[in-house]
Amino acid sequence: MSSTSPLILADGVSKKFGINQVLTRVTLEVLERDVVCVVGPSGSGKTTLLRCLALLEEPSEGQVVMEGVPISTPSPDKQVKAAAREVRSEIGMVFQHFNLWPHMSVLQNLIEAPMRVKKMPRDKAVAIAESLLKKVDLFEKRDAYPARLSGGQQQRVAIARALAMSPKVLLFDEATSALDPELRREVLAVMRQLAREGMTMLVVTHEMGFARHVGTRTVFMDRGEIVEAAPGSAFFDAPQTERARRFLQQFADE
Amino acid sequence: MFKYQFRWDTVWGSFDFLMGGLQMTLIISAITLVLAMVGGLIIALLDMSRFRPLRWIGISIGEVVRNTPILVQLLWVYYVLPIVFGVRIEALVALIIGLALYQAAFISEVYRSGIQSVPKGHREAAQVLGLTPFQSFNRIVLPQAIRMTLPPLASNFVQLIKFSSLGAVISVSEITRRGMELSATNFRPLETFTFIAVVYFFICWPLAMAIRFWERRLQAR
Ligand SMILES: Nc1ncnc2c1ncn2[C@@H]1O[C@H](COP(=O)(O)OP(=O)(O)O)[C@@H](O)[C@H]1O
Repeated sequence: MSSTSPLILADGVSKKFGINQVLTRVTLEVLERDVVCVVGPSGSGKTTLLRCLALLEEPSEGQVVMEGVPISTPSPDKQVKAAAREVRSEIGMVFQHFNLWPHMSVLQNLIEAPMRVKKMPRDKAVAIAESLLKKVDLFEKRDAYPARLSGGQQQRVAIARALAMSPKVLLFDEATSALDPELRREVLAVMRQLAREGMTMLVVTHEMGFARHVGTRTVFMDRGEIVEAAPGSAFFDAPQTERARRFLQQFADE
Repeated sequence: MFKYQFRWDTVWGSFDFLMGGLQMTLIISAITLVLAMVGGLIIALLDMSRFRPLRWIGISIGEVVRNTPILVQLLWVYYVLPIVFGVRIEALVALIIGLALYQAAFISEVYRSGIQSVPKGHREAAQVLGLTPFQSFNRIVLPQAIRMTLPPLASNFVQLIKFSSLGAVISVSEITRRGMELSATNFRPLETFTFIAVVYFFICWPLAMAIRFWERRLQAR
């Protein structure tokens, strides 16, 4: 694999639901150690793009490529499906509504995939899970069930669960929008720490502060298209289009 | 006014006879529940099958059974099946088959809604982490679905206790039938059937209350 090819790439991805065109030839590459933040008005297709990259949706056109290998195409052939299985767990995802499994304790949530998918021995999986729980500062909740945790704690567990598979890239789908403002901070802190440690991340978010200060690149989407992409805080300091300016206006008083 | 000399002793005199019938009622209900759980699973799998003919069979069974009276079904199993297959079916067997089929059609819906009660996001989380569809069903969907199905299954048991009284019509010797036989000899239908109604009530009511409590606790989770 050439080291210059992006870690993950949406290559001209379009997505239609029936006659509703949600994405129109979106091309977006994420390089190693990138923290790409995707912003834009709601309904602009951000989540759908993320779901295409997470292999939860099949593109209607274009392809998703991981380290040079196509892993998702419209009606994929055997080769693409095999490639997808191969890298499946290297693409982690954190959902807006956490999606922890309520019938399992926090620890079980974390060791389930490593044990079943990677066939990791239990004690090794537990050791990894415990160190991840310490990292998100929830070690003492190890045996609690998700329903006993606050939203912020649940989301931190969900992040730890994703990390337990040591993914190469982590996708965040509005990971803080279901949370009260006080609880957002603890989740954003974990995300910031991951960025600092060099985790490759693609973050769909309404947190402009995070995008501005933590993101290495900001992508602005509107009506299914990428309208602007700029490194670091450049997008916020000098938006190029009227649409972006109007979008940023709403956050002016923040 | 209503002047009536109650003769409860005629009922106490046959207490063991009636309790033997109750035992029969409970055994029939238990066996039928087990069969109906298996039958319900088969119907649910047929319903969800990828092959259209199988799906069609599953849906047809469900619709026919749910939309004809249970008593007619019992009579059909008891009188018609032997003609069609040329074998005599014992009343008890006919009752169990008929009730099990009837409950299975409802239980298949219980299973289906149990599975549908598991949010799609739980499966997507499993998928993203690399679990196969089978692992995801087995480890994530099924344990949650089963928890949701247990109270409705218990309610089905209560229903079966009541429905099994229909066995009286085809002379299965459960408690209602024994009541009919007793009142035909003691000429005391009032005492006899009142007693039987009370017996049913004090079995079904506490069960129903316990189930309602159980369901509320599950929802609170
Ligand atoms: N599974 C689906 N079926 C039909 N339409 C969908 C589906 N998922 C998303 N959409 C539509 O796609 C559009 C973009 O949605 P989304 O990607 O969630 O945007 P955003 O994340 O930017 O708010 C919306 O109009 C939404 O109704």
